[in-house]
Amino acid sequence: MDLGLSGKKAIIIGAARGIGMATAEILAREGCDLAITARSEDGVKEAVANLRKYGTKVFGSAVNVKKEDAYKAWLATAIEQLEGCDILIPITSASGGIGSEKYWHNAFEVDVLGPVRAVEAVLPIMTERKTGSIVLISTTSAGEAMGGPQAYNAMKASLITWGKQLALAHGKDGIRVNVVSPGPIEFEGGNWDMLKGTMEKFYAATLRQQPSGRLGTPEEIARAIAFLASPAASWCNGSHLVVDGGFTNRTHF
Amino acid sequence: MDVKRQVNIIRVNPQDWPKGTPAEKAEDPDLGNALIPAERYYSPDFMELEWQKIWSKVWLLGGRSDDIKEAGDYICTDIGRESVIIVRQADGSVRAFPNVCLHRGNRLRPEGLGTAENFRCMYHHWTYDREGKIAHIPDLGSFPQGAPPEGRLPSLPCAEWGNFVWFSLNPDAGSLEDYLSVIPQHLNPYHFERMAWKRDVTIEWDCNWKTSVDAFHENYHVQGIHPQLQWYLDDVNVQIDCYDKHSRYLVPFATVSPRVTLPSTIPPAIDFMMRHAGMDPAEYEGRVSDIRLDLQRFIRKNAKKQGKDFSELNDDQLTDDYHYSIFPNVSMNIHAEDVMMFRQRPHPTNPDKMFYDLWMFELVPEGAEWPERVRHQHFRHGDKSIGQVLDQDAFNLPTVQKGMRSSAFKGLWLNSQELRIRHFHDVIDGFVYGPEGRKPGDL
Repeated sequence: MDLGLSGKKAIIIGAARGIGMATAEILAREGCDLAITARSEDGVKEAVANLRKYGTKVFGSAVNVKKEDAYKAWLATAIEQLEGCDILIPITSASGGIGSEKYWHNAFEVDVLGPVRAVEAVLPIMTERKTGSIVLISTTSAGEAMGGPQAYNAMKASLITWGKQLALAHGKDGIRVNVVSPGPIEFEGGNWDMLKGTMEKFYAATLRQQPSGRLGTPEEIARAIAFLASPAASWCNGSHLVVDGGFTNRTHF
Repeated sequence: MDVKRQVNIIRVNPQDWPKGTPAEKAEDPDLGNALIPAERYYSPDFMELEWQKIWSKVWLLGGRSDDIKEAGDYICTDIGRESVIIVRQADGSVRAFPNVCLHRGNRLRPEGLGTAENFRCMYHHWTYDREGKIAHIPDLGSFPQGAPPEGRLPSLPCAEWGNFVWFSLNPDAGSLEDYLSVIPQHLNPYHFERMAWKRDVTIEWDCNWKTSVDAFHENYHVQGIHPQLQWYLDDVNVQIDCYDKHSRYLVPFATVSPRVTLPSTIPPAIDFMMRHAGMDPAEYEGRVSDIRLDLQRFIRKNAKKQGKDFSELNDDQLTDDYHYSIFPNVSMNIHAEDVMMFRQRPHPTNPDKMFYDLWMFELVPEGAEWPERVRHQHFRHGDKSIGQVLDQDAFNLPTVQKGMRSSAFKGLWLNSQELRIRHFHDVIDGFVYGPEGRKPGDL
């Protein structure tokens, strides 16, 4: 099956590691031009160097999505560099935390306003060209309890609602909006890699909940994201795809 | 797990802190690469040599000074085949004497703390005063030979440093000050007298006392048995310093080991450390690798307001583990706000067993109420958890002890990260074999 990604222009926010980097890699391999960012300058530099080996145009520079002006400027530059935007995948996250009100601000600014500002930046050009695909990244922790009551889960949950609203509002302009909710994903330097070392029992309990006895890999999420982002998923709009290897209990009727 | 990242740990410049704990790296002694003989861990002969040449000769840690504040307060503590009573005197000094009745040899008191007007043997009621002098012998007239002519229990050297009380079984032990050498200068800045008991546990461990001391003399085992600590401390960039008898290493805390990939979120233990200092991890915008220095700055700025006086400590001491060993048997993990220390005592008769005293103290901020003294607990190896890290430490020790007896195992094959173990055994050799040290064939 040809995904039809060749020649598409994609923006990925949070592409220096984990799921974001794996997604960038698949899109580059499939022939997309890319604009990527993350907070860490070294991380972005390394990711750009790696992605360029696939021969497409890759633009990248570091930005902190909490810095509104810098972030908006980056988004404008990215669209300019790519001369448009067909695909937007804002994946950056402030991650979890309990015990400080500041976590709510962090999650709102990064997990919610990060995607909101990116979507608002690309909507005009997508509307103008009557084509576009946006994939928002939520989490299985939005639908099922995980890690205690905290901002991360609640803020990520809002993306599922908002994603549906976007899909309904902009479908008429040829813009599709879908949501992917990954289950626990393990990679070197990621949270579950650290939890394996630091909270062995919690990690082991999570493993036991996975029918296949392992956690997911970034590539396994990235492939689902790439599909929804691609023209091959032309009839997917407003969908919410849980990609968790069977981790969650909920039945979707 | 091998090292996978180059990590540059920034340490204080020793010249910037001339008055506090010296931070300079001591020159490493050249102690060769020879095996440390396995037999010394289980041989009854070597155990006896240790008794004759070490335990009955050196200064030993008896307990905490603030456990015996008032005249008559005493600590009764065993060391190997001996037991000692340490008593606070009316003039504020401390005295020590053997815990034995000169009549038939009964122990005067069980191990532990107490307060006494005098020490009356529970067998025939021979009574000794707080200095160890015989105060009363029932039916003295029925002893045709009279009372023991010394009229008292032998007086043992006893002195205080660091809010700890020390004793020696050796009447010619010299001064405690000479024995401790660099230790007071290094550790006085921590002010242990401002710290209160947090835990007081004795566990009978199924290993030789040296097997335990060795376990706390190197960081090489962190990657082997404490995987979680790799997201808490740097077990690779460790400064090792060996002194005359004692030694230390300085371990950077609030940082991530070069053996694991740097995470983008703050690891749980570092998160805890930040919160404890009053820093909100959610507010932290820097990289995980920047936390250690930022935390030092934060503590330096805010400690005083929290009633914590760290004016004598350098910045590294605000986060890092300054781990000291006081020969022969005291290992101390020292931090600005707490001390976790171990006193490792030999079993009276069995080289395959020991007593592991786990003592923890925590700084009581100025103005805060001094907590009630925790109760002493005593149990056997593995009966109860003593916390994740120490359980991990304890887990291998019985099998290490068993393995020592294998004909395939001649001795310890040490690396440079284990230099303090080599140094420890070199000091043992000095005591046991004299200045010439251990010769081929010696245990």
